Amino acid sequence: MQGLLQQIISGVATGGIFASLALALVLIYNAMGLVNFAQGEMAMLATFVAFTLIDHGMSYWIAFPVALVIAFAGGIAIQRIVIRPVERAPILTMVIVTLGLATLVNGLAGFIFGYVPRSFPSPFSVQTVDILGAFVSYRDLGVIAVSTVVLLAIYLLLQRTTVGLTLRAAAHHPEASRLLGVRVSWMLALGWGLASAVGAVSGIMAAPILLLEPNMMQTIIIYAFAAAVLGGIESPLGAVVGGVIVGVTVNLAGTYLPFVGGDLQLAVALAIIVGVLILKPNGLFGRPSVRRV
Amino acid sequence: MPEPEAAPALLEVAGLHAWYGESHVLHGMDFTVEEGEVVTLLGRNGAGKTTTLRAITGGVRWTGDIRFGGRSLRRMSTEDVVRGGIAHVPEGRGILTELTVDENLKLGSHLRRDGAEVKKDYDRVFEYFPVLKERRRLSASTLSGGEQQMLALARALLMKPRLMLLDEPSLGLAPIVVRAIFEIIKTINQTDHVAVLLVEQNARLALEISTQAYVLEVGRIAIRGASAELKGNESVRRSYLGY
Repeated sequence: MQGLLQQIISGVATGGIFASLALALVLIYNAMGLVNFAQGEMAMLATFVAFTLIDHGMSYWIAFPVALVIAFAGGIAIQRIVIRPVERAPILTMVIVTLGLATLVNGLAGFIFGYVPRSFPSPFSVQTVDILGAFVSYRDLGVIAVSTVVLLAIYLLLQRTTVGLTLRAAAHHPEASRLLGVRVSWMLALGWGLASAVGAVSGIMAAPILLLEPNMMQTIIIYAFAAAVLGGIESPLGAVVGGVIVGVTVNLAGTYLPFVGGDLQLAVALAIIVGVLILKPNGLFGRPSVRRV
Repeated sequence: MPEPEAAPALLEVAGLHAWYGESHVLHGMDFTVEEGEVVTLLGRNGAGKTTTLRAITGGVRWTGDIRFGGRSLRRMSTEDVVRGGIAHVPEGRGILTELTVDENLKLGSHLRRDGAEVKKDYDRVFEYFPVLKERRRLSASTLSGGEQQMLALARALLMKPRLMLLDEPSLGLAPIVVRAIFEIIKTINQTDHVAVLLVEQNARLALEISTQAYVLEVGRIAIRGASAELKGNESVRRSYLGY
């Protein structure tokens, strides 16, 4: 029983990492009706930025927000320079552009930082604390806390501020929003900036567990896809709930299903993606899609 | 011809050509809207009424001259035209159905910095349309067609424009609702001194609340005149307005 609780809490922590990246995917999906295949790589690059800052003696809790700000600016720059020129191109063109971007960022990180895995510091100790008989690491609790704060901040920004309102308006109804004076193009760029920053949180939380190297996010992005699809690809809340469900499911399957173990966890995520797409294509929180053509 | 000394009209359109995709829709339009005036554009489907409004707010490719408050709108983005004081209620009303009624209204006032005035305008808007106050927290998608038209007008009013472009406010609404909407348009024009450029199929109603009218035929102005005059002109009525 304690073992189960322990696995669930640990799964929630992993889920927080998935949820952040899934939310990044959802933010961009809403802004341009397309999944950003480079999201994981952008998060990885931001994590390298944080690593470099810490390596140069900056304290973790200063390097963390600084890296997010840099990721935010980088996201805006990528939208302006790479995405905007193909904004009106067919969807396949844009898919290829984000795939190309993923390869480019990955190669760039490899070129600058090399492919040797590096240990990334965590401000939370791996020692455990006894919660109702379950041994939970401070690191898991820390990841849960940071993810919660970041996701809550994004929620408040989107739902409670004027900028959030115009951002949602621009994403859902660009033409009508323009007629209300909303600078739609800049709002889409802002969406990229936010997504990039949220994704960076995911990378920075994952790095101490996975070791930092250019391919670090390539499995996490699959889990994040599963989370976003499960939650309903257009729903920010869905991404978060989906992230936690995927995190817990994968963790429990790895622990209690002998044939899954550590090796087939990714298969569980893929099974979730396929299962949701077949049984409930709009996900848990998605609306049946009425697409304007 | 306007006299050279006359103060410029609020909106001056001269030699306007416009394209909808590849097709050339407007073939040289000239008209003006004076400060505080209601002007109506009449004509059959496809005559170019909607395209004229869309040209003004930069929604279609156009050539010629459009001036608002003396300033050319050439090469201005839709956002900038709107921010300059033109509220455009488009065909289909432009309601953001993913958002609540309140959020739609907020998008109308989100650029204003005169907080106290904004609050007063909200009060007035809710006086005009009490139903919107009751449904503030509901999704705009739950509103009926008439209520959505009210929301669109309310939102446009909250933008505090000098000119409103209204594209077929009567479309798809029950006659009694249309009456109410037109009453409000008249009130908005008179109490707020907002000029209105109105596109309507319902010529009778449009001529009633406007001072000037232009009848469009395949992208050109076929007839222009005072609304009262056009209303009384039997042959114009029969051949162009169809009632």
